[in-house]
Amino acid sequence: MRSQGQGSKLFQYALVLFIAITLNFILPRLMPGNPLALLAGADVGLLTPEQRAAVVERSGLDQPMLSQYASYLGDLARGDLGYSFRQNRPIVDMIVERLPWTLLLAGSSLLFSAVAGIALGALSAWRRGRASDVGMLGTMIALDSLPSFWLGMLFVSLFAVQLGVLPSSGAITAASSLGGIDQLIDIARHATLPVVTLSLLSIPGVYLTMRYSMLSILGEDFIRTARSKGVNERGVLFRHVVRNALAPVVTVLALRLGFAFGGTVVIETVFSYPGLGRLVFEAVSGRDYPVMQATFLVLTVAVLLSNLLADFLYPRLDPRARTA
Amino acid sequence: MTGSGIPLPEGAQVSAPIEATGTWRQRLIGVRADSTFFIGLIGLLLVSGLILTAVLAPLLAPYDPTERVGLPFMPPSAAHPLGTNDIGQDLASELIYGTRVSLTVGIVAAAVAMVIGTAVGVLAGFYPRLVGSLLMRFVDVLLIIPFLPLLIILAAYLGRSLFNTILIIGILIWAGTARVIRSQVLSLAHRDYVTAARALGASDARIISRHILPRVLLLGISQFVQATSGAILLEASLSFLGLGDPLQKSWGSILYWAQVRGAFLTDAWLWWVVPPGLMIGAAALGFALMGFALEHRINPQLQATR
Amino acid sequence: MVHRPSVRRLALAAGVISSLAWLAACGQSGAAPTTSPGVPAGSGPAGSGPAASGSADPGSAGAVDQIRAGIIGDESTLTPYTYVTGFPGWNLLMLQYDSLLQFDVNGEVQPWLASEYAVSDDGLTYTVDLVSDVTWSDGEPLTPDDVRFTIDYFLANTHSRFTTNLASVSEVEVTGDSQVTITLEDPNPAFAVGALADIPIIPQHVWEAVDNPDEATFEGLTNVGTGPYQLVEYTPDQSYRFEANPDYFRGVPQADELILVQYADEAGLVAALRTDAIDVTFRTISPEQVRALESVEGVEVAQGPEFSTQMLYYDVTKPPFDQLPVRQAISLAIDRQDLLDTVFLGAATLGNAGWTHPDSPAFNDAVETRTDVDEANAILDEASITDSDGDGIREFDGQPLSPELLAPSDNPLRLRMAELIKEMLLQVGFDVTVTSLERETLVNQVWPDFDVANGRDYEMSMFGWSAPVQVDPSEITSLLHSDPAIGSINISGFADAEADEIADQLRVEQDEATRQELLDQLQVITAERLPFVMLLYGDGAYGYRSDVYADWTFITGQGIVTKLSLLAADARP
Repeated sequence: MRSQGQGSKLFQYALVLFIAITLNFILPRLMPGNPLALLAGADVGLLTPEQRAAVVERSGLDQPMLSQYASYLGDLARGDLGYSFRQNRPIVDMIVERLPWTLLLAGSSLLFSAVAGIALGALSAWRRGRASDVGMLGTMIALDSLPSFWLGMLFVSLFAVQLGVLPSSGAITAASSLGGIDQLIDIARHATLPVVTLSLLSIPGVYLTMRYSMLSILGEDFIRTARSKGVNERGVLFRHVVRNALAPVVTVLALRLGFAFGGTVVIETVFSYPGLGRLVFEAVSGRDYPVMQATFLVLTVAVLLSNLLADFLYPRLDPRARTA
Repeated sequence: MTGSGIPLPEGAQVSAPIEATGTWRQRLIGVRADSTFFIGLIGLLLVSGLILTAVLAPLLAPYDPTERVGLPFMPPSAAHPLGTNDIGQDLASELIYGTRVSLTVGIVAAAVAMVIGTAVGVLAGFYPRLVGSLLMRFVDVLLIIPFLPLLIILAAYLGRSLFNTILIIGILIWAGTARVIRSQVLSLAHRDYVTAARALGASDARIISRHILPRVLLLGISQFVQATSGAILLEASLSFLGLGDPLQKSWGSILYWAQVRGAFLTDAWLWWVVPPGLMIGAAALGFALMGFALEHRINPQLQATR
Repeated sequence: MVHRPSVRRLALAAGVISSLAWLAACGQSGAAPTTSPGVPAGSGPAGSGPAASGSADPGSAGAVDQIRAGIIGDESTLTPYTYVTGFPGWNLLMLQYDSLLQFDVNGEVQPWLASEYAVSDDGLTYTVDLVSDVTWSDGEPLTPDDVRFTIDYFLANTHSRFTTNLASVSEVEVTGDSQVTITLEDPNPAFAVGALADIPIIPQHVWEAVDNPDEATFEGLTNVGTGPYQLVEYTPDQSYRFEANPDYFRGVPQADELILVQYADEAGLVAALRTDAIDVTFRTISPEQVRALESVEGVEVAQGPEFSTQMLYYDVTKPPFDQLPVRQAISLAIDRQDLLDTVFLGAATLGNAGWTHPDSPAFNDAVETRTDVDEANAILDEASITDSDGDGIREFDGQPLSPELLAPSDNPLRLRMAELIKEMLLQVGFDVTVTSLERETLVNQVWPDFDVANGRDYEMSMFGWSAPVQVDPSEITSLLHSDPAIGSINISGFADAEADEIADQLRVEQDEATRQELLDQLQVITAERLPFVMLLYGDGAYGYRSDVYADWTFITGQGIVTKLSLLAADARP
């Protein structure tokens, strides 16, 4: 497959993108129920039928599908992500507002889990078979088996409600005018529990990948030889193996970044964190068509980009993979 | 990986080793044999325990979980070891009967995923040019669609029932299996025995059924076990988000009611939130450990069958 | 071997992303997105720590620097065209604006912006005198032109619920320095409650330039109004900040600053109150939370009857629900007290089969609401709807009684009630299947496109109407009338000639006594012919921190989110 070359690869991704864009358009409209409640805002049931018809007409929902699709594509080409029915403002604004929070959660937890996962995975592989390795392995697999929302709920119960040391929700203290360091601290306090939860649940994946990767390079003889050498040489060997083992890990991390954008839905819900994930869920529940489409698109593009990144990085890191 | 389920780009093989050379001991990736076996055994014990609980539920549970047997929100007592839920049903009984629902959903959904994934993977690997290309593109698209909205659509369209939950999860997770199976079939299809069989005039169907399928079976089983772990977690998440059937007594729905009735804001978190989460974790863990052990078993075997 | 740079690159990338995100996040919260120029920023102490953020000012009794309130969901820019929910959206809207009349603590209307008003004998002319010396928040004086403009504007720009309330207005003119005369096409006895007490008066000098009210956001988001509070800051999906209007014509508001914080759901809201991140909830909290909160130190709960309804609906046009004995049996089989105790934990009022809330002045106490399973079984037996094959389920027309009961998946109380109702109906031989649906899907089946003329597609469903439908007793006609234009919320398809006739009379009857008689009759018909089954009226319960502010007033049927709560005790009517 890889012999198809770069051009073909790009074409395939472009095709996927196009299909995704079209699917993103069709899927929201397939859902039963209608967004009239959103369009009309308050007390939609108290509007007269004429008023409701006027609302539908104004928002273009009564146009034939093809015509709606054409406008959709045209808008996209212009970079216009549309207008939210619910909040009556450009969706780009909404996404730009929420994106940093999701990035904060996803980026921070990616960073922590990458560092912890790589370090622990490497050490575990190096000490393969020993008690510490088996213990760590077991712990990681156990951690990977815990439901994310449950962990989040527990943390809220423990740290926010019972102990009262950390805030239970939100990204910042509302409408407060903190500046400088105080503000950073406030943000950090609010982000602590979500980031900890996300990190804890991401570490096992990185750890296992790193461990496997290292082990696939190491053979028993290699290990025995390494151990028979002096401390300094051992260290050099260790670093050498780690570098070689990073290829798949990098790939996995690059992919994680893409999924992180959508994957924080549950965490953001549990912690009332104003990010993209929560926006998706709210938009879908409220059938806010334009917001749904736009967030779908952002998520899709993110995943595609990270796939591209992974495809790009992997052969450069691991020469063996070039020969399929 | 269990709950992660991250797909890898083509050519990236993490769970199966890249062409390793050397002695069979060098090819034995992973922990020493007995440790792997030990891990798998723990997994098996966990899973067996849970299956037993599910089967013997009527004997183990003190009450019928759908019966209102106490006042709402009662704390644990002699009569109700885990207290009661928001309408006075016994939580311990719900937990025990929940084993049935959660395990069933997990296993069946994973089975669905394995069947579809294996079928697609075999076809894609055996006919890599046109059919395989098309199938894998389809897999790619599927993996790209943001899954939460897809879940909601499906739940809304199909209605919230147990059957539909199983269907939805199965549809979501087969893609990963397809990729793994396809990788394996790609390499198998070039083996000597396949070439030989073709030279002797065997039909494709025969080659697949005699030479390919048996050899991917083990991999398929390993994938199935791992997928079960993921499916159990998915069901819990679905129910928690309110996308499952809230009237079913699964572990996920117990947590759903705990959350919407504010249990984790009160002391009730200890007996209402912690136990179901632990059960979910235990089930996912059990299957994950088994899958882990199986995989380490399979790898050297695959190497040996050259 | 370019391995090392890739590790570094990755670490760098992750670090850069995180840092950028931090910077952007700071940018989000730090710079006030839109603050009106000239308004002093951030009065009052900030911080969400254990120390209470609002402090009582010893100078003026009861006055507080800051109150933080929690809400669920966003209300957009809180103008009359953009607010989102009936509750608390409208209530928050009315903190910024005033209406001509205002509900007092007992739920009755009193003059407000109107110093007095008179209705002509034929019910067609309303003469309203305005209070003098009222100013808009930008300093301009309130004039009768503003009132005239308001009515004309809502009639011309029809995407608001205020348009419907003014539908009967044919003309409005200024007839004096501070007097306005409104003429109706047909007499509308509910005009005072439904329109004059409901509609915010908007300033002509601001709104006459607005062609697109849905999209108009005002500069600095200062919604210019005459009300006690002015919106000065809005962070979408996060918070609102109001500042008190010190020149409010009814007296100085009790809190200098009002902050609204948004939460994703009730759990977050209650957690915030517990952890002292907010001082009051502007959303009613669930029964189970009420109990838990009362035991938290410093927190109290203001509770009282409210007018939101919990009901059981069925399609009256389809068998077996077109049989009166069936409907009667259902109503008799349901143990409302059990629902109240188990699901609502006591925080509700028993339903009145005749629809009207027992605390409403229009309540007809001659109407009985009973539970009697034996009687229900007897009625069904008499109607020859029996269980012929001994499986415990009755048959009608050869088919077993196995209806599907829809329940909204996002309303846990209704879900639980549905489960209990299934139990209760089993006792009279129904095999009910409860199906949980997404709210949008459910509403679309029960009330397709929000138009009863489209028919319906369900057998049984949990449902309910919000408070405004109860507040005006004559809304009962919308629930019963067979003409879709009048019975706009008659989602069971009920059609009864006698009910239609009485309802038609009610719509034009002026005399109070006669109106009450007609309402009594409609309640009796409702209880006897059962277009739906009334279950309960949920109580309103609002948590608040008594050490910050404790003077919340509970308007019967409406709760504490009202400007009255924030005025000095003696300023409240």
